[in-house]
Formats: sequence, C-alpha cells, structure tokens
Amino acid sequence: MEKEYTEEETPTRALRGVTFSIQKGEFVSIMGPSGSGKSTLLHILSFLDRPTAGSYTFQGKSIDEMSDQELAHVRNSDMGFVFQSFNLLSRLSVYDNVEIPLLYSTISTQKRRTLVEEAVRAVGLEEKLYAEAGKLSGGQKQRVAIARALVTDPNVIFADEPTGNLDSQSGLQVMEILESLHDKGRTVIVVTHETQTAEFADRVIRIKDGKVESDSPITTDRLRQGNLK
Amino acid sequence: MRSILTMLGIVIGIASVIILMSIGQSAQDLILGQVQGIGSNLVIVIPGAPSNGRFAPPASAQGIIITSLVQRDIDTVKREPSITGAAGEVRGQGDIVYGNNNATISYEGVTADFFSIRNLDTKEGEPLSVGDINSGNHVVVIGPDLAVTLFGANVSPINKTVRLKDVSFRVVGVLSKGGNGPFGVDQGNLVIMPIAVAQKQLLGINYFNDIMVEGNAAYDVVFVKSRITSVLRQNHGITNSNKDDFDIRTQEDILSLLGNITSILTLFLAAIASISLIVGGIGIMNIMLVAVTERTREIGLRKAVGATNSDIMQQFLIESVLLTFVGGAIGITVGAGVVGLIYFVLTTFFTSVGWVFAFPISSVILGLTVSGVAGIVFGIYPARQAARKNPIDALRYE
Repeated sequence: MEKEYTEEETPTRALRGVTFSIQKGEFVSIMGPSGSGKSTLLHILSFLDRPTAGSYTFQGKSIDEMSDQELAHVRNSDMGFVFQSFNLLSRLSVYDNVEIPLLYSTISTQKRRTLVEEAVRAVGLEEKLYAEAGKLSGGQKQRVAIARALVTDPNVIFADEPTGNLDSQSGLQVMEILESLHDKGRTVIVVTHETQTAEFADRVIRIKDGKVESDSPITTDRLRQGNLK
Repeated sequence: MRSILTMLGIVIGIASVIILMSIGQSAQDLILGQVQGIGSNLVIVIPGAPSNGRFAPPASAQGIIITSLVQRDIDTVKREPSITGAAGEVRGQGDIVYGNNNATISYEGVTADFFSIRNLDTKEGEPLSVGDINSGNHVVVIGPDLAVTLFGANVSPINKTVRLKDVSFRVVGVLSKGGNGPFGVDQGNLVIMPIAVAQKQLLGINYFNDIMVEGNAAYDVVFVKSRITSVLRQNHGITNSNKDDFDIRTQEDILSLLGNITSILTLFLAAIASISLIVGGIGIMNIMLVAVTERTREIGLRKAVGATNSDIMQQFLIESVLLTFVGGAIGITVGAGVVGLIYFVLTTFFTSVGWVFAFPISSVILGLTVSGVAGIVFGIYPARQAARKNPIDALRYE
C-alpha cells in the first residue's frame, strides 16, 4: 500500500509500499517516530482515507470497491475509534456523547438506550451517565471515548495515541480496558510511540520513513530489553 | 445569546412583513368596505373619455375640466325604467364661519336624489328637501364633527346661519354619521347644499363633477350601465362609440380598481419588509459559517463514527431552519402584538378613522414559510461547507 500527498507544493510519500495483514482478534501496536507514516496508515486502515496505490482489504472487501457512503457505513458498524484528544462534545452529557455513533445507524431509539447504558457500564462510568462530558477528568473522558467506540459492538477498535494525554495511572486503566476488549475477541489496533502502551499488544508493527521496519510478536521481556525502542 | 442575536434579524423581518401586510389589509378592508357601503346597484358617471388602462385616473383627477355632464343628462337618465334615481354632484372647498369659529371644509352641491342614493340621514333636523334643492335655497346639512367645531357640543346648529365664501346659509340638518365616506370624503366635516347654489354662487359652473345613478334592483347592473351609455350618447350626440365623453363605473369596477391598488400597495410594503429578511438571512448564514468553523472537530468526529456527507448537511440545515423558524414564530408574535397595539391606538384615539382590524392568516403562513425557506437558502452554503470537510483534517483542527 502506498500513500502520496500531492496537494502540497512538494509531494510527500507518507507510505512507500507497506504490506502486512492483521487477523481477527489480534491486538496490534503500530509504533514509529513522528512523521514515520503511522497515523497515515491508521487513517487508511480505519477507512478515513484511501491509499494512492496498492490495495487494502477489510473483512474480505477491497476499499477500492467501496463508495464513500459504504466506507462511512463500515466505520459506523464495524469500527470503533479512540483518539488522543478524546474528541468528546464537551457540552453534551456522557450519554449523548456515547450515543453519537448510534445516530447514524438504523438502531431504534429504545435499543439505543440499552446499548449506551451497557457501553458506559463496561468502562465503569455508569454513575456519570448524565454528567457533562467537559467536566470529567482526562481518564474519565478517555473511558467515555472507549464507551463511544464500543457502543455499536464493532469488530475492530482503532486507538490513536489513546494514552497520550493521560497520566500514567489513567493511561494504565485505559489500556486495561482495551486489553479486556481484546480478551473478549475484538481486534484492537493501537498507534503509539510509548513502549508502555505498546506492550499491551501481542504484535508490534514498527514503521519508519513510510515502510514497515519490523513486524513481530512481542513479549514484555523483549520490550524491556529495548528491542523496540 | 448568540443565537438570539442572530435570530433578531429574522424576528424584525418577519414582524415587519406581518405588520405591513396587516396594515395593508386593514386599509384595503376599510376602503373596500366604504365603497361596498354605497350599494352594489350604484353606478357612477364621470366626465371624460373612458380610460384604456385599468389604473388610469379619470380625466377630472388629472386637472382636465370636462363640462359634458349637465342637468339634462340626469333628467333623461331618470326616465329609464331600469333606474330608480340619479344625483348630480359638484364639489369644492372653502372656509365656513360661525361667529368666531371657522373651519376649512369640503362642500358638495347635490341634486334631489342624493340623500336617498347615498343612504344618508340626519340625527338632527332634516335632509335637504326637494323644494330647497329645486329652489336653490341657501340651506345646508353639515357633518356632526363640523357641528361641534362651529357650535360646540351642546348647542343645536339647526336654524343657525353660517357663512361660506361670503354666502350665508341656514343649517337645516346634521348628518348622523361621521367618518370617511365612500371616496375618502370626511363626512364628519362635510357641508351639503342644493346644487344650484354651489354651481352658480360658489363655483360659477353649470356642469356636474359626477352623476351617481342608482339602478333598479330588478335589473342587472351591466344592463343599467348599457342604458345609461345609450341615453348619454344620444344626449351628447355621440355616434362613434370610441368618442364617448363620459365614463361609467360600477361598484364592481371601483372595487376591482381599489382592490388592485391596495394589493399592490400591500405587496410593495411586504417587499420593503422582506429586505430586512434578507439582511436577517445573511446574519444567519454568517453565524452558521462561524458555527461550522467552530465545530470542525465535531464534524470530523461525526464523520469518523459513520456520518455521511448528507447526514452532516442535514444536521446543519436543520439547525439553520430551526433558528429561522423560531425567529419567524417570535416575529409573528411580535408582529401580532404591534398590530393589536396599532388597532388599539387607532380605535381609541382616532375614532373617526373607522379602522378595521385585519390580521390575515395568509401573513402568518407566509411568515412561517418565508422564515423556513430563509433557513434553507441561507443555511445551505454553510451546511455544504460542513459536509465537504475532510474528516482527517477536521479531527486535527485546533
């Protein structure tokens, strides 16, 4: 897969022939320094962008065969998103924030309530269901974001630097939640530059200069030895 | 707070439309009501060739003096079985004096059938008698407001002598009703006198300004009109129908003409008011564009979790329509309040106007429709801008 940005004065090749596959139920970390192309890769994997060359197949269907509308539909039903800066609508309640993806699905209003409550319970914030999102702590905000990612019961959760704006304690809690989601059979793909975060995965794909530098299963020992630093 | 300020433009715009349409409608009802008051079988003959355009004023209104209507026309027209009465009129203006009191008034010199055709009666004294009119006696019937101006509220004007253009007149009656007459004449201050006095002593003419003809109710007004035409052509020796020196207008003609004029006036007023709607709409567009920029990250998030371009477009359009619709509803309420206030003021302090309260439901429907449409028209560009945002750039927006 390749990705070239031609809009700017000097075209940038963000991805230069990246090849790998991720199986259902894997927990994968994508690591790399700033400007390595890891965010570009995540955008393509999560259907927010398209490759300029090569192909990307998700659940047996090529991105090239899908319209923008179909991509939006897949993002809604099969993918969940967790962002570094949470991206919550601060004036809305936790309930309203978690409900957002359901607004673009065909799920009935009554069913939505049950799903939102289940998702908020899964991240341990049921007592904050009607609290204003903007008034929560950073860790709580990221847990709300995870609940929002979970609410449509997606197969894959994409997390872009999920612990980047959190203290270590909150970051640990967030990664434990993602780990528990993986344990329940979901595919989790995390983009991070923090080894502590990456060590929750069972496979690390390291990107450098738009190419896969390494792609291997990891153990905590290997991380500690600095093999991935 | 920002939304309220933004809505203000729409509120003012819709309120202006409502107020002006209501005033226009009230004026229309008032004028048409006055014309309808003169009776559907009334036909008015005015001097001068018939106008070609519906909106062309009669020749007399353009300052052209036409002397074609005379007493003989009245006498011959009245012989027609389809006609029950005909009254000639002349009009003038002057100062009327009683003791130290005086007033500038309009006077009318009339022939015998005038009071019966116009359904005028007196609250005090008597209308002009046939004898007074035929003899050209110096007697007048005056309007109730003028009676108060000249004689005071508790003094009877009957048999008092007043002077008009240095001619003395004895007051024989006071009209029972004031207010505006069918042609905008202030009946409250009107002076009515025998035709001969007005023609010879005050105006120095021997023709009429118009003749009012009352058709027999058993005959169709179109037939009455055709009979008058035939008689007058014969009197005036006209053989070519294109060279008529008179114009005959029925109540329907007048209603249609006035209706058209007042409708155009109402539309004109509404058009002026809609300028403020456009200004209000631009305000909405401006604030929606600001909202789209401020909510860029939200748009990115919504797209990331599955919103399509049309979902985003719909969301922003609904918001702008809601904004203008609420503004429109407030505008209608404010407009209705102001119209009610105007009605209250006019009926309380200006009783002689005879103002009619009109709050056309069409203006409410128009107000709501226009505000809704303004929401779509002025919301569509910001909504498109929102829908076209790239989700990745939008999510990164600071």
